[in-house]
Amino acid sequence: MIDRRLLSNIDWILIALLLWNSALGVIFIYSSSHYLPWNFYLRQIIWIVLSLAVLFMFLMVDYKNFLTYSFHFYIIFISLLAGMLLFGKLIAGTKSWIRFPFFQVQPSELIKIIMILLFAQIFSEYKARYFSWNKLLLSCGAVSLPILFVVLQPDLGTTLTYVPIILGALILAGFSRKSFIFLLIFALILSFGVWNFCLKQYQKQRLITLIFPLKDPLGAGYHILQSKIAIGSGGFLGKGYKKGTQSQLRFLPARHTDFIFSVIGEEFGYAGVIIVFLSYFLLLLRLFRSVDKSRDRAGVYIIFLVAMMIAFQFFVNVMMVVGLFPVIGIPLPFFSYGGSSLLTNYLAVSLVLNVKMRRFVNV
Amino acid sequence: MENRKIYEDLSLIRKRSQRIFLLVEILLVSLVIYFWKIQILDHDKYWHQSESNRIQEVILPAPRGLITDREGHILADNIASFKASLIRENCKNFDLFSRRISRLLNIEENVLRERIEKYKSLPQFKPIVFKDNLTLEEVSLIEARKLEFPELVLQTEPKRFYPFGSFAAHTIGYLQELSEEEIKSEVHKERKLGDLVGKTGLEKIYDNLLRGEDGHYIEIVDSLGRHRGISARKDPVQGHTLKLTIDSELQKKAEGLLEGKEGAAVVLDAQNGEVLALASYPTFDPNRFINRFTPEEWLDLVNNPEFPLENRAIRGLYAPGSLFKLTLALGSLDLNLITQNTSFFCRGSIRIYGQNFSCWRDQGHGWTNLFNGIRNSCNIYFYNLGKRLGIDEIARYATMLGYGTRTGIDLPGEKEGLVPTPEWKEKVKGISWFPGETISVSIGQGPLLVTPLQVAVHTALIANKGIKVIPHLLKSYQESNTKEEKEVISTPRNATAGIESSAYEKVIKGMWGAVNNEGTARLAKIQGFDVCAKTGSTQVVSSLKAKEESNQENKIKTHSWFTGFAPKINPKVVVTVIVEFGGMGGESAAPLARQLFELYRRKHD
Repeated sequence: MIDRRLLSNIDWILIALLLWNSALGVIFIYSSSHYLPWNFYLRQIIWIVLSLAVLFMFLMVDYKNFLTYSFHFYIIFISLLAGMLLFGKLIAGTKSWIRFPFFQVQPSELIKIIMILLFAQIFSEYKARYFSWNKLLLSCGAVSLPILFVVLQPDLGTTLTYVPIILGALILAGFSRKSFIFLLIFALILSFGVWNFCLKQYQKQRLITLIFPLKDPLGAGYHILQSKIAIGSGGFLGKGYKKGTQSQLRFLPARHTDFIFSVIGEEFGYAGVIIVFLSYFLLLLRLFRSVDKSRDRAGVYIIFLVAMMIAFQFFVNVMMVVGLFPVIGIPLPFFSYGGSSLLTNYLAVSLVLNVKMRRFVNV
Repeated sequence: MENRKIYEDLSLIRKRSQRIFLLVEILLVSLVIYFWKIQILDHDKYWHQSESNRIQEVILPAPRGLITDREGHILADNIASFKASLIRENCKNFDLFSRRISRLLNIEENVLRERIEKYKSLPQFKPIVFKDNLTLEEVSLIEARKLEFPELVLQTEPKRFYPFGSFAAHTIGYLQELSEEEIKSEVHKERKLGDLVGKTGLEKIYDNLLRGEDGHYIEIVDSLGRHRGISARKDPVQGHTLKLTIDSELQKKAEGLLEGKEGAAVVLDAQNGEVLALASYPTFDPNRFINRFTPEEWLDLVNNPEFPLENRAIRGLYAPGSLFKLTLALGSLDLNLITQNTSFFCRGSIRIYGQNFSCWRDQGHGWTNLFNGIRNSCNIYFYNLGKRLGIDEIARYATMLGYGTRTGIDLPGEKEGLVPTPEWKEKVKGISWFPGETISVSIGQGPLLVTPLQVAVHTALIANKGIKVIPHLLKSYQESNTKEEKEVISTPRNATAGIESSAYEKVIKGMWGAVNNEGTARLAKIQGFDVCAKTGSTQVVSSLKAKEESNQENKIKTHSWFTGFAPKINPKVVVTVIVEFGGMGGESAAPLARQLFELYRRKHD
């Protein structure tokens, strides 16, 4: 199924960068949760191994096949999300989880992969210099359903991570001023509709505090302040591994998930921050450079959208922990604890590897 | 260049991608600069904030669950109490502080210093409790000097209070502050330094049910220490209310009867093992331990030669004496070594294995069958049974009937006693078993050791003709938030499937005779309430205390035992009493037991 030539074309450097980032993550998950009873770092290692296995499994299938069936996948996942809204049980205030005996997954994370494939499929046939109306309508329609369902869960953080995917697709397709205005109007109408007809009062309240944390200075504002204190007090070299007072004394919220970067900043200081930035830069560089390696349009779309997705989450998370962005539950890809997010990001990178290794085959 | 023709031209979208990556690079560089500002330029500001993090979590301690008797009378309650704490970061001159505070609140200065030293691992802003149970005068003294001592804070907390003082103190137990080592252990994972936890008794074994969930809120204090606001309040949840099987009237009676003596009394429901009374004397007032500062009083109690802290009912080890004759009779009947008509002649003493063994009655009992053997507690009769059974069979039946193992009562620290065997002696003492020792064991002497509770459970087993009950103190508990009542059910089990019920009937007949037919337990006789019982008096040989006492002339050297149940048919209640140095069991323990039987009967008629 997978011949020698394909194997030699696997981008091992990209995989190495991926594992390097994940390993750094495990180190800090340990530091931020070793005093909790659930062994998060061990679970994360298990997720990494599993995700890596899935990554290689998906390499065996030509991405063209994924593209062909992307619409089918899309239908399956949309029905899943709709079903969860109707029948799901609330876990931690949202209906975004499906429970299995030993773990739970968030389909709202995994659907990002489907959306990338779907957009690549829609736009691969499209060669005009600028964007056309029907394509815009089609893509907006395709993305509005999952957005709607996930907002209703309600999981605003995950919804926000869909934005770079559609935005990325539109940018590549050549996005005129006219279509930008249209998109804005469309988004406004959609959010107006959702706000007035779909959301319940408590959901609205939750969204308001998410977007304007200062309305609840002792809730979300408290977290931002603590996170800033953690990072700022780290100084140049940090307070030392497992010695961050903010994180070890539990002033920080969600230390091993969304706020893991604050732990890095506190315990390893500016030096640690730069190392993580550098690791991310290399990873993003590798991803964006891969765009040049694809020989077909769909491949370019896939690689670019994956790169956009990861870059966006990275920036939002890092800006969130220093108060440059509202506190929205977006994890730091590869670093934060969380199986679904990790698996999704590994699958995304798997698609990039897939496109790169088959660049000479798909003539 | 040839490739160009084969592959489609993607240069446009690649260029767009490159432009986006340029954006990524710009953003990344700006973040590098922004983090430089936060972590390097503003470092001092944030470092100070992290050092004196003023936004802190304040714990609202949960009141412990109540403990009530079986009728709902509260035995363990909570009252509000004030405690004074020191916040070190507000303290400018610790020497001055400790000098003035020790004078103000009348604490010894070195005690205060030790206290603060013990908690030095806590962050600077965390209050350290240095005196609790403040009186109202002390509270007003502190309040009046609030401005002088910004480092001093007053906090209120719910405090455990036992309204009846020493009532059932051994059963209920007491609380003490966790030590630093205990905090680090797995058991107390969620506890904090300074928390009070159950140290003994029910307070310990049901600590998880009683403890509740602490609440908390986030307190914001500005740099001058002024209180700015409270947020994210979570109210504490009180622990569950425990309802005990204890009957306060019986318990009070039992304690009253033992007052001034050393001993223990157990009253069990014969059918289901509910403990109606569990008394041990001397006793103590658990209210005195809740105070965080009682080293002297504590040492007084620990070093008291009469061991008031020991729960004699479950931890006191005594030779069973003549009570053991019941076990021997059951074993012999089961193995068909005797019938109820088998008789031995008692002339006051007997020579077995070249040694002289005497009966308690110098002139002897004459020809004695099983009924009279039990009724008169004839030693000679049981020396003969012991000889027939042999030590291994004696040990087997003793173990089967509940000796040598814990009864499983829901109290910590229960002792298991000792059923000696030749193997045990070989292992522990390194010498082999003498046949003469078997004869001593036959009347409950020798190395044999039992607890009063084991005796009570053993008696219930005889009363139920082989059905064993597990004694328990928790009747039910009420969930504090749902108010849902959860019943605790202990199922009696058939422990001695081998022994026929006719064997029990024969033994019970003898016990009935001991009370109602001018036997050794006649002082426990109650008209119309068929009490069946056995008394015992054990010579205290090994105890150091006994040797001391024996030098004093008027002190008796035997412990006095009584165990029995009533009524004979459908037994309802088991009473076991031991009075240390009480003399003959029939004389001192039996009358006490009769009063407990009488009270039980009055309450249930």
